[in-house]
Amino acid sequence: MSSNDLRDVLNLPDSSSASGTPGGSHRPSKKQRLSAPRSNLKGLAREVQSLGGDNPIAIVPEVSSFKKRRLANRKPAARWDLAPFRNSARDDPSLMLRHWRRRDGQHGLQQQEQQQHGTNADASAQPTTEQNGAQVKQEGDNEIEDSAFAKFNVRPSIPQYTDEQYKTHLKSDDWSKEETDYLMELVTDFDVRWPLIWDRYEWNPPATNGVADADGDESKAVVPKQEARSMEDLKSRYYEIAAKMMAAQKPIHVMSQAEFELHEMMLHFNAQQEKARKDFALNALKRSREEAREEESLLLEVKRILARSERFNEERRELYNRLDFPQSEQDISSIKTSQGLQNLLQQLMAADKNKKRRSLMGADNAHPANAAAAAAAAQAQAQAQAQAQAQESSRRESTVASTGATSTPTGGKKKGNQQAERPKLTEKEEQVYGVSHHDRLTSGPVFRSEKINKMFTHKSNQQQQRINNVLLELDIPPKLVMPTVATTQQFEQLFAAVNALLDARKVADKLDTELKLEQAKKAEREAKESSNHGEEDPAQDKSNPDMPVTKGDESASKEDNAETGTTSEAQETTEPAADPNGEEPGTQDPVEGEGSKEAAAEESSGGPHKRSASVLSTTSDKSAKRQKK
Amino acid sequence: MAQQPLSSAVPPTDIYGGDEVSALVLDPGYCSTRAGWAGEDVPKSILPSFYGHIGSTNTNLFGDEYLIPREGLEVRNYMNRDSVVEDWDVAPKFWENMLVKRLQPERPTAPGKNGLNDDPKKDGEGDVSMDGATAEAAAEAQEEQEQEKALQENPLLVTEAPWNTSKAREKTTEVIMETWGCPAFWLSRTPTLSAFAAGKATALVIDIGGSNTNVTAVHDGMVLKRSIQRSPVGGLWLSSQIRSMFEHAEPKVALTPTYLIENKTPVDALAPAQARLRKFPFQIADSFRRYEEERVLTEFKESVVEVWRGNPGPYRAQGTEDFIKTQPGRVFEMPDGYNQMWREQRYRASEGMFDESVGYPLPEAERITKEQTIPSLIRAALEAVDVDLRPNLLGNVVVTGATSLINGFNDRLNNELIGMYPGVKIKIHAAGLTSERRFGAWVGGSILSSLGTFHQMWISRKEYEENGPGIVEKRCK
Repeated sequence: MSSNDLRDVLNLPDSSSASGTPGGSHRPSKKQRLSAPRSNLKGLAREVQSLGGDNPIAIVPEVSSFKKRRLANRKPAARWDLAPFRNSARDDPSLMLRHWRRRDGQHGLQQQEQQQHGTNADASAQPTTEQNGAQVKQEGDNEIEDSAFAKFNVRPSIPQYTDEQYKTHLKSDDWSKEETDYLMELVTDFDVRWPLIWDRYEWNPPATNGVADADGDESKAVVPKQEARSMEDLKSRYYEIAAKMMAAQKPIHVMSQAEFELHEMMLHFNAQQEKARKDFALNALKRSREEAREEESLLLEVKRILARSERFNEERRELYNRLDFPQSEQDISSIKTSQGLQNLLQQLMAADKNKKRRSLMGADNAHPANAAAAAAAAQAQAQAQAQAQAQESSRRESTVASTGATSTPTGGKKKGNQQAERPKLTEKEEQVYGVSHHDRLTSGPVFRSEKINKMFTHKSNQQQQRINNVLLELDIPPKLVMPTVATTQQFEQLFAAVNALLDARKVADKLDTELKLEQAKKAEREAKESSNHGEEDPAQDKSNPDMPVTKGDESASKEDNAETGTTSEAQETTEPAADPNGEEPGTQDPVEGEGSKEAAAEESSGGPHKRSASVLSTTSDKSAKRQKK
Repeated sequence: MAQQPLSSAVPPTDIYGGDEVSALVLDPGYCSTRAGWAGEDVPKSILPSFYGHIGSTNTNLFGDEYLIPREGLEVRNYMNRDSVVEDWDVAPKFWENMLVKRLQPERPTAPGKNGLNDDPKKDGEGDVSMDGATAEAAAEAQEEQEQEKALQENPLLVTEAPWNTSKAREKTTEVIMETWGCPAFWLSRTPTLSAFAAGKATALVIDIGGSNTNVTAVHDGMVLKRSIQRSPVGGLWLSSQIRSMFEHAEPKVALTPTYLIENKTPVDALAPAQARLRKFPFQIADSFRRYEEERVLTEFKESVVEVWRGNPGPYRAQGTEDFIKTQPGRVFEMPDGYNQMWREQRYRASEGMFDESVGYPLPEAERITKEQTIPSLIRAALEAVDVDLRPNLLGNVVVTGATSLINGFNDRLNNELIGMYPGVKIKIHAAGLTSERRFGAWVGGSILSSLGTFHQMWISRKEYEENGPGIVEKRCK
């Protein structure tokens, strides 16, 4: 009769089906574990055990055998001796202490060790080597091992000096010989552990005046009051002695590199610096809780700022990289179609995901993203609706899009749809959300800086140079560092203004030259009138533009002009209209009007004369060419 | 053999650096004296330093088991409250009792004297008796010699308070060398040993013992003398606080030691005790009663007194006491059956260790100043060492002494230290084991004297004979 039968009789649910409880999942393994010992039981015991079913009855099976012997081997127990030993590192090596040692195979080993130690004994352990010698003699009858720990006795080498050496090298106003001796003794005693030396430094100078004898203090007339020595005093004195003794024993030029370095270090011990350092440490220890906390937070802040600036620099570098190579060298035909564009977008997004850049700080939230950017972002999100990335990609897109280009037809439609869904924003709201409107958008990502580049590259070389000159004068870089919407707008305005200025200047120059020409003609005419000729051909006078400039060819030009007088005059009159066509196509000519022209002329009053010369020369060249024709 | 984790054939000297030479370690203190074998983790023999003295027969009884109500028994201590040996007549006997009688096996009486070998026919024949007499004499001489050599085989390490006088040190040396004939000895200061017990060579040791508290900086296994700070704020001082607390309790609490109680009936809290006191047909000395009272107070300290940890505010702050009153208290039943719940009082009694302005009023002699509170001691000790050592010391604070076992002591100490040195990393090392905290110095001594490298330090008999007792000043710095 098993537990299952019992359960059947009592109408209890089956244990296996009841194991749907949270703990049930552990049951099977438990059951398996339990089943193993149960199989060992026999007869009635098994029956009783099976009554318990899955809840085993707590019966401790009787173990009839004793614990197994731990050690299988039956070797005889090892013999141990209470063996005496010495310690050769002792000042008094005769002390014999006793410890328990196994009898077998130990002696030989210990002996070896001892021998080794005997040969290794250094100069400081001179007496012990003698002792060892004596010991070796006795070895025949009783072998006494040396402590294995004797080899750990190490003593630092402390400089020694004789009286003469002291007199020649080490005399000091501040330190008497007795006190120096006392210091060296302490250094030896405490193995150059300065905190201890300073702690135990209690120098009582002997009487200096009168005889110090046994009866009492009366005879010690003056006991100089010794001011307490600081640790730095002690150190500097010791290092001074050590360095000098080192040099005395071994001239500096014979020293090895290490020795020389040590010597230099000891020689240049700077007590003042040490004191200053300790004062500093003391101050650091005396900080209040607030100061400590403040310092901690400042340190944290610095760390954060550094980390942030690093990241910022990296992002900026990345941006520069993008700006530096706006035109990709690759074949762009693949992305000319909307399909290709879609692919590119996806690639970019994948790259973005891989980078997993964290979003920028609050400053980034205020980043003015325009409507196109938002639209482009929305377009990008059309595939992946990850909300977290919206800001990310909008930032990316905002730097890229909005050069006033048209979007793809599909994008345009989408944009239109989305805008239709959106509620109308007031101007203020638009500013807050960074929404802006554009006429047309070109397909694909465009750099905003490209717009300016375009404006720039459409000009002729000469024009470009002039614009550059103006910008240079104004201290504005020709390429925008941070082409945000606002800056590009400003830059565009500036650009237009510069253009207008240049145009105005050109016109001004032209008028200037004409004026000069006329004046020259007039002068010539008057001169002619006054001199031999009474009257001349007015046409020739009029068509003598080269007069002030090319005086050398005066006579030749005169002749030429005489021939083609009328034609040149006609050309002269057409030139103001023709020139702009040749040099500045598609720019708004004197739309700004004459008012701005005058202002511009005033503004750059320094320039015109210089430039007018060049303008003149170019015009004269041209006229010369025409004349040749 | 391979299955065995550690083979006994090769002593693992390279790991432990241990080399047992069956040295003895003796750690005398005001409240108890510890003695045992080096290399063990707990002293084998712990006796109160109080001993019984019977004036009529001029006998001294050493050991707790003799301190019972008895005619003419007077309880004395061979040390003074500074933990320096005062009674040099008793101290050697006391120590010998511990080191020889309680640590070494009883020596069998010489076969010639134990009576079993007595020849019944001895008197009859002259020559036999002559032989017997000579044998007896020889045995006697041998026995005497043996007794004299009681500690001849064991080097002895004795601890001492860091402010021990050089006179006392020399006296100790003489006793060890002349009276006991040890082959070698060493005197070591307790803070050093406590630091060793915590496994540190450099530490700031805060030892809160029975009669004294001392704060000492240890550098590289040596006490920095200038840093030694001590105050009476210890177990006994705490006991007097509790006495004062009993005095000032609302129904005054009578401190009746256990030996006086014949029987008692349980009573409700704060109800007067119902106990019949024992009558003794002889005079009980005051010193004995005081000793017995101290036992009760020790139990009280162990089970009730707690140190205010400093949360949510310092104890003296407004409202802290009211806050504690809302917390669960502890009940203590006095030997006579009187019982009471102790709430804020149990904190107030120990608060004086940290804040001299709180605590119960004490007689003039036991009152402490601000300089004697534990935080001030620590500050003063650190002021007296080099700046470079301070952060290291604060990172190795060793707390030892039985009174430091009071609940919450370490937390409070940690809070105090953090408040005092906010910019420094503070780490407190306090042994978790009660015995290691109570016998910190002894354990350190046990470790030290079983180290193989320590054997070059022992002051040997030969050195003592060459230099006299003054050698201890030269060597044990």
